[in-house]
Amino acid sequence: MTSTNNTWRTPLVILTVGCIILTLSMGVRHTAGLFLQPMTTEHGWSRETFSFAFALQNLVWGLGSPFAGAIADRYGAGRTLLIAAALYVLGLVLMSVSPTPLTLDLSAGLLIGLGLSGTTFPVIMGVIGRHTTPEKRSLALGIASAGGSFGQFAVLPIGQMMISTYGWQSALVLLACGVGLIAPLAYAMADGHKPSAGAGQSVVEALHEASRERSFHYLFWGYFVCGFQTAFIMLHLPSYLVDAGMSANVGMTAVALIGLFNIFGSFYFGWAGGRSSKKNLLVWIYGLRAVAIFVFMLIPLSTATAWIFAAVIGILWLATVPLTNGLIAQIFGLRYMSMLTGVVFLGHQLGSFLGAWLGGRIFDETGSYSLAWSISIGLSILAAICSWPVNEKPLARLSAAT
Amino acid sequence: MNPNWRWFIGGVCIALALLLLAAIFVAYQMPELLIDWANLRYCG
Repeated sequence: MTSTNNTWRTPLVILTVGCIILTLSMGVRHTAGLFLQPMTTEHGWSRETFSFAFALQNLVWGLGSPFAGAIADRYGAGRTLLIAAALYVLGLVLMSVSPTPLTLDLSAGLLIGLGLSGTTFPVIMGVIGRHTTPEKRSLALGIASAGGSFGQFAVLPIGQMMISTYGWQSALVLLACGVGLIAPLAYAMADGHKPSAGAGQSVVEALHEASRERSFHYLFWGYFVCGFQTAFIMLHLPSYLVDAGMSANVGMTAVALIGLFNIFGSFYFGWAGGRSSKKNLLVWIYGLRAVAIFVFMLIPLSTATAWIFAAVIGILWLATVPLTNGLIAQIFGLRYMSMLTGVVFLGHQLGSFLGAWLGGRIFDETGSYSLAWSISIGLSILAAICSWPVNEKPLARLSAAT
Repeated sequence: MNPNWRWFIGGVCIALALLLLAAIFVAYQMPELLIDWANLRYCG
């Protein structure tokens, strides 16, 4: 790993702090659904009112990511994290006292969405990427992804326990306190990075350069498919199992298995990305997802097959994150890594939005999820095909600078 | 640090991490969470 100017701000410290920040930001976000019932019951809102605020949050999160990344690249990750954490905390606190649907949209939708843009993968991965050598970068990004995966897995039951013990309003404030810890941690991420290759490039030039590279478009659409599949499966798999006559417990265990194996998968593919071709691994991941879903559809559904499917999909879940982010760094360099990963993350969020919405829409129209599963298989094959021609070589500009 | 201690501490950390993951996994079996899982579908 590369050395830093500050003796205490070592790559290990930055990686550890990055993991903690991702655990907090991704974990707290994952508890959102737990507040639906108590909030709608207390305020007399419809589920659609609550859902709209979180659909808005997903879009703001995606749309805000390129901007948060650009701000981090221009003014530093520390300041970006600090401001984003403040917005996230403010959003959670205001959400706890939101009296109307509009204030819920502004707090849970806009403020938390913006907070997520600045405290999740694009900003954190940029700092970690800059502080690691190319050989160890993929592993480091994999460990950070595993941190986010751990947050999604661990904070959900904690959030539930908080609501049961202290009530939903206090639980939101307590979660806000947890997110508030990002503010002091941001100091460790204030690396004051001094870019080497691409230093003379402006944000617009970097975007223009990326938009002319086919590989960037392939990564964008691959990530779109990733978002589509993860949102669809996470939101609709439990319903699919219950519709097939299984108990809710089977669905819940399937979700827990996805979360658990996601941690190992993120770590493994991050490690593997440092040893072999990242784009080939992406082809494998998207290809295996298609195979896993196809086999799951083909064989008779049982508790065992549902759990095996959950474990396999869990391994492939956020495994795309270290590989896609690693490829961005490898091809375009580190100068605008946060912004460019923010742009492809926008693709992920658009896919998530479509996967969540379309899954429900197809079920409402046809009475089954069969078509949605088929679309998921087709998209997975397309993503595998899209990942194959990605050119992993650094741009000529970077080769000339070294 | 003595290599034996390093292996011992590493092993203890891995064991504790696995215990933590197992405890979280068990926490997913809470009945309240099962009820509230339905709500997650609406919020992505």
